[in-house]
Amino acid sequence: MDADRFTLDILREAFLAVADEMFVSLQRTSQSPVVYEVLDFAVGLTDPSGELVSQGNGVAGFLGPLGDAVTAVRETLPQLQPGDVVLTNDPYAGGGTHLSDVAMVRPIFVGDELVAYAAAKAHWTDIGGKNPGSWSSDATEVHQEGLVLPFMRGWRAGRLDPDIVRLVAANSRLPDQAVGDLLAQGACLDVADRRVRDLCSRYGTVTVRSAMREVLERSERLARAALADLPRGVFEAEDLADGDGLGNGPFPVRVRVAIDANGVHCDFTGSHPQVPGPINCTWTGLVSGVRTVFKALTDPREPATDGWFRPLRITCPPGTLFTATRPAPVGAYFESTEIASDLVWRALAEACPERLPAGHFLSVCSTSLTARHPATRQPALLVEPHAGGWGGGEDTDGESGLVSVGDGETYVIPVEVAEQRYGLRVERFAIHQPDTPAGAGRHRGGRGLVREYRILGDDALLTVAMGRHDAVPWGRSGGRDGSPNYVEVVSADGTTSGRFGKVTAKTLQPGDLVRIVTGTGGGWGAPSERPDDLLAEDICDGYVTEADIAAFYRST
Amino acid sequence: MATTPVTARVAVDIGGTFTDLVAVDSEGRVRRGKAHTTPDALERAVLEVLAQSGTPAESIATFVHGSTVVINAVTERRGARAALVTTRGFRDVLEIGRANRPDLYNLRYRKPSAFVPRHLRHEVTERVDYTGTVVEPLADAELLEVARQLEEQQVEAVAVVFLHAWVRPDHEAAAARLLRRALPGVTVVASHEVSQQWREYERTSTAVLSAYVQPVVAAYLAALAKGLTDAGVDARLYAMQSAGGVCSFDRAVRAPITMLESGPVAGVTAAAALGRRLGTGQVLAFDVGGTTAKVSAVLDGVPPVHTLHHVDRSPTSAGYPVQVPVVDIVEIGTGGGSIAWVDDAAGLHVGPRSAGAVPGPACYGQGGSEVTLTDANLLAGRLDPEFFLGGQLALDTGSASAALGRLAARLGVEPAEATRGVLRLAVAQMANALRLVTLRRGLDPRDFTFVAYGGNGPLHAALLARELGIRRVVVPPGPGHFSAFGMLTGGVTAQSVQTFVAPLDNADLAGLLDRVGSAAREELGEPDAAVRHWLELRYRGQEHTLEVPVPALTAGDDDLRRALADDFARRSEREYAFRLDAPLEIVAARAEAVVPLDDTPWGIGDDDDVPLRPPRSRHVDFDQHGGVMSTPVVDRRSLAGETPLQGPAVIEEQASTTLVLPGQAACVDADGNLVLEESDGR
Repeated sequence: MDADRFTLDILREAFLAVADEMFVSLQRTSQSPVVYEVLDFAVGLTDPSGELVSQGNGVAGFLGPLGDAVTAVRETLPQLQPGDVVLTNDPYAGGGTHLSDVAMVRPIFVGDELVAYAAAKAHWTDIGGKNPGSWSSDATEVHQEGLVLPFMRGWRAGRLDPDIVRLVAANSRLPDQAVGDLLAQGACLDVADRRVRDLCSRYGTVTVRSAMREVLERSERLARAALADLPRGVFEAEDLADGDGLGNGPFPVRVRVAIDANGVHCDFTGSHPQVPGPINCTWTGLVSGVRTVFKALTDPREPATDGWFRPLRITCPPGTLFTATRPAPVGAYFESTEIASDLVWRALAEACPERLPAGHFLSVCSTSLTARHPATRQPALLVEPHAGGWGGGEDTDGESGLVSVGDGETYVIPVEVAEQRYGLRVERFAIHQPDTPAGAGRHRGGRGLVREYRILGDDALLTVAMGRHDAVPWGRSGGRDGSPNYVEVVSADGTTSGRFGKVTAKTLQPGDLVRIVTGTGGGWGAPSERPDDLLAEDICDGYVTEADIAAFYRST
Repeated sequence: MATTPVTARVAVDIGGTFTDLVAVDSEGRVRRGKAHTTPDALERAVLEVLAQSGTPAESIATFVHGSTVVINAVTERRGARAALVTTRGFRDVLEIGRANRPDLYNLRYRKPSAFVPRHLRHEVTERVDYTGTVVEPLADAELLEVARQLEEQQVEAVAVVFLHAWVRPDHEAAAARLLRRALPGVTVVASHEVSQQWREYERTSTAVLSAYVQPVVAAYLAALAKGLTDAGVDARLYAMQSAGGVCSFDRAVRAPITMLESGPVAGVTAAAALGRRLGTGQVLAFDVGGTTAKVSAVLDGVPPVHTLHHVDRSPTSAGYPVQVPVVDIVEIGTGGGSIAWVDDAAGLHVGPRSAGAVPGPACYGQGGSEVTLTDANLLAGRLDPEFFLGGQLALDTGSASAALGRLAARLGVEPAEATRGVLRLAVAQMANALRLVTLRRGLDPRDFTFVAYGGNGPLHAALLARELGIRRVVVPPGPGHFSAFGMLTGGVTAQSVQTFVAPLDNADLAGLLDRVGSAAREELGEPDAAVRHWLELRYRGQEHTLEVPVPALTAGDDDLRRALADDFARRSEREYAFRLDAPLEIVAARAEAVVPLDDTPWGIGDDDDVPLRPPRSRHVDFDQHGGVMSTPVVDRRSLAGETPLQGPAVIEEQASTTLVLPGQAACVDADGNLVLEESDGR
C-alpha cells in the first residue's frame, strides 16, 4: 500500500495554497500602487536548499529572483534563527534586479529543524536615489538609484529592528509607503511560517520535505515531456536594443537557441557590453526573461518551480547589457529583461507558431509623473506601466491594449481613480491609430493605446523609460512591422515637444498635455492574404482605413 | 373551491440540470417537485414542476423565482444588440478593460471579447471631474446626432456611461432622458442607475451587461407571469437576487443584472436562516451538486457580500466585471460528476472537468467511460446502487469498476487504492475551499456550524468536519431542495452601494449613511423599511478595502468612528496579520433595506412518496477512518427519538446519502435536521 502518493498530491496543492495566501495578503495590505495595482511582486516557498517549490506572482518576469535570493541569503548568513527576516535588494547579488525591488527571506523552522524558506520580493515606490520613484533614464551608477540593503536582518527572532525602520524611512521620499510595505511583506512571511508549520504538524516534517522534493521532480518530468514536442535545432535572432537615455546606442544584442534531447540552451554571447545608462540588467533579470518564454513554450499553465527550469541552460559572459556588473546603473533593468524574452521569442516564433505570435510592443513603458495635487497641494507621484499592441499570430489577429510580456496580472489605473488620487485630468484613453499602416498582415498586429494627461498642478516632472521607440515590433511570415512607443508633450500654447522614448525629470507647466502612445504589434502573414470579410469589419470598426487597404492590403 | 383559505408560498429554482420547487402552505404542509430544466423556454419547466407538485394554483399567494436566465444570456451571448454612448475620448474603455493578462505565460492570450463592438460605441462631448464639477457641458446636438445613428444601426439597447457619474449623474440622466424620447422601444440604461461605484471600466461593463440582458429578461419574466396567470395563479411575484433576498418582477426588469446569481445564493440564505433557528450566527454553508462544490462563511447571521463580481473569470481569463452586490461564494470544480484523471507525471487530479448529465458518471451506464467522484463513492460502498435518487436510477457497478481499473492501471496501484485516492483528493480540494473562506480570513472553522446540502454535500460532510476539526454537522431535511427553500427565507430587499472617498475622521458619517440608506429604501419603494449599513474602509494610502458593518446608531459620530476603527483594525489583523497606526479612509458605503416576507413555516418536507426502507447493512470503505467495515444502512425517516445512531453508518434518503464516521453519532432534531456530532471527545 502506497499511502503517501496521494498525500504528496494533496501537499502539492497545499504549497500552492500557501503561496496564494501570501500573495493576497501582500496585495491587500500594501500601500504602493506598484504592488497593489501593477502587482510587481512575487512570493513563494523554497525547500531548505533554496529551490523554489511554489510561487505566487502577478507579473511574468519574476521567475528567478526568489530561489536565487534564498540561496544568496543561505550563503551570506548561514546561522539564521527562527523569526529572523533578511532584507536584500543588491542588484548584483543573488536574486537582485534593481534597488526598488526589495526581497525579504524568512527561514521556517519546526523545532530546530529548518524545513523551508518563505520569500517575498516587491517593488517599493520610492527607496531614495536622485529621482522620485528611484529610477530614471539617465543614472550613470547604481548609487544614484537609491538605498542598498545588503542582506540585513529586519527582524531578529520575531522582533522588528527599529534601526532598519528608521533607515528605510529616512532614505525614502515616501516613508509611510516604504515602511508600510516593509511591514506588509513581513506579515505575508508570517502567514507562510504559520501555514508551513501547520502542514508539518499535520503530515510530519519528513513527509513535507519529501513532498517538496517530489514537487520539484514532478515539474522537471512535465517540462521534459513538453520539450519533446519542441522542434530540434539551432535558432538565432538578433536585434537592436533602444538607446540608453544618455545618447548612446542603439545596441546590438543576439541569442543562439539550441534545442536537443537534453533541453534548451540559450547563449547570449556576442550581445553588447553593459552600457552607461540604466537599461542594463543583471544575471537574475536575464534568467527571468528567458524563463518566461521557456514557460510559454513548454506549458503556460503548470505551476512554476525551480524544477521546471532544470532542462534550461543559459550562458552569457559577464559585463554585457544582460549581465551588468557593479556599479552599472540598472534602474530600468526590466527593459533588458524584456529584450532577452523577445530575442528567444523571435528566434523561435516561426518554429513554434502555436505558442508564439509576432513581436509585440515589448516595453513596460514606464512613466513617472509627479506634480502637486491641486486639492491637497501635496506632491503626488504616479508611476505606471502602459499597455500596448500584441503581434498577430498564425490564426488570430493580435490583441490590442494588453500589458507587456514582463508584466502580467497588471492593471492599468482607472481614469476616475487616477484623477482623484493624482490631481490631473485624463483627456483621452483610447486605442491608437498609428499614422503608418503598422502591423498589416493576414492577421493584423493589435493596436497600442493613447493616454493623455492634462497637468493641473505645479512642480510637475516627467520621467519616461520606453523601449521599442527606435526599433519597432517585428512582423513575421510576411506581416509588416508594428509602430513605435513614444511620448510627446503639447504645451498650453500648442507647441509640441517632438516624440521621445526616454526622458528624466522633464519640467512641465500646468496646462501641458502629456500624450503617451504605445505601439501596434507586428503582423503575421502577407497583408494581401487578409480575407475581404475581415477587412470589411476592420473598416466598419475603424481599425484600418480605406487608404491602408489600397496601399497595403490590396495594392496591385 | 376550498372554503378554508389555505394560502401557499412557492419557490422555484431553475438550475442547469433541474428545476426544483418547494411549496409551503399556511397549514405547514410542504410540497416538493423536481423537473428537468427546459433551456429553450425556461418557463415551461416552471409550470411543469408546479403542476407536478399538486399545489392548487388558486392557493398561491407568494411566488419566488430564481433562474439562470441572466447568466445564460451573458455566457451564451443571447442578449440584445447593444450600443454604448460615452464621454468623448473614452469609447475604447470597454475594449481595453484593465489590460491585464491573468494567464501570465500564455503569449497568445485573448481578452474576453467586448459585448459592444467598436462601431456601436459612440462618443459625445461632456465632462465632469471627480469633485462633481462640470468641466464641459453636455453637447445636446451631438447626442441627437448619435441618437439618429443608433436608430440607423437598429440597436435594441443602449448603455450610457459618462466619467464620474458616480459622483454627479446629471449628464447621464439628461442623456438617458433624451435617448429614451428619441428611441422609443429601445432599452436605455444609464450607469448610475445600476452602479454608483467608481472605476469607469467596471461601471461601463456593468451598464453594458445590464442593457444587453434587459430585453431578454423582460420577455422571459413577462412570459412566466403570463404562464402563471393562465394557470390560475394570482400571486405576488418575486425574483431572487444575487445579494440574497428577493425583489418584485418589476424591479427585476429594471435592474436585471441583480439577478445574476440565484440558486447558490438562496442556499447560503437558507443556511444563514437555519443557523438563526439553531441559535448560531456562524455557519459554513456547503453545497455540492453534480459539477461543483460551493462554500460560503456566514458571520453574525449575515451572508458575506462583495460589491464587485466577475462573470466567467478564471485563472486564464479576466472575465467581465459587474459592480453589483453578490453573496461571496467560493466555487470549485469538484462535484459528483467531476472526472478523475492522471497527468503526464502520474499525478492524480479530480475535476474540474465534469461528466455532466450526459453521459454522466460511468455508473449511470449511459456511455461514460471515465471515473467520477460518484463512481468512487459507489465503489467504496458509500452509495447504494439500488437506491440512487430514491431508486429512480439503478447504478451500474460493473461500468464504474471497469473505468476505475483503467485509472488504477495508469496510476500503477490496486483498484481499491485508486478509489481511496480519488475520494481523498476530492475531500482535500473541498477542505481547501473551506479553508479559503475561514482560515485564510483568520477564522477558525471549529467555531462554525457546518450545514451540508445539495445532492452530494451530505456524503462528504462528515469527512470534511473530521478533517477541519468541526464538531457539528447539520443536514437539513430535503437537502436537494434546500436552495429552493432558501428563496422563502430571505426578505424583500434592495441594496445601494456608493463610492465616497473621504477621511473617516472628518466625514459626515450620519449624512452619508442616511443618503445611501434612503437610496436603498427608495429602490425598494418602502420608505420605512429596516436598513443595515456597511462601510468599506482602508488605511490611508492603501488601495484595497475591508467592509465593516456599521453598528446601530445610538451614539454620536465620534463614538461611531471609534467603533468602526476598532472593528477595522481587528478585521485587518485577523485577515492579514497586519495592523498600522495610520488614519482610516472611507471608500464606499453600502446599505440594504429589508421588508421581511410573512413568516414562512420552517419545513422542507419528507420523502413521503417513497416507501420506507428496512434497515440493512453493507461493506463500506472508510479509508483512514477504520478501513472497510460492515456498516448499518438506515432510512433517514426511521431515525427518531432519543437514541443517537452511532457511526459507522450510512443514512439514506431520496435525494442524498449521509455518511457517519466511526466516532460520530447522528440524531434528528425537532425541525427534522439530521445532526452529526463527534461523540468520543475528539
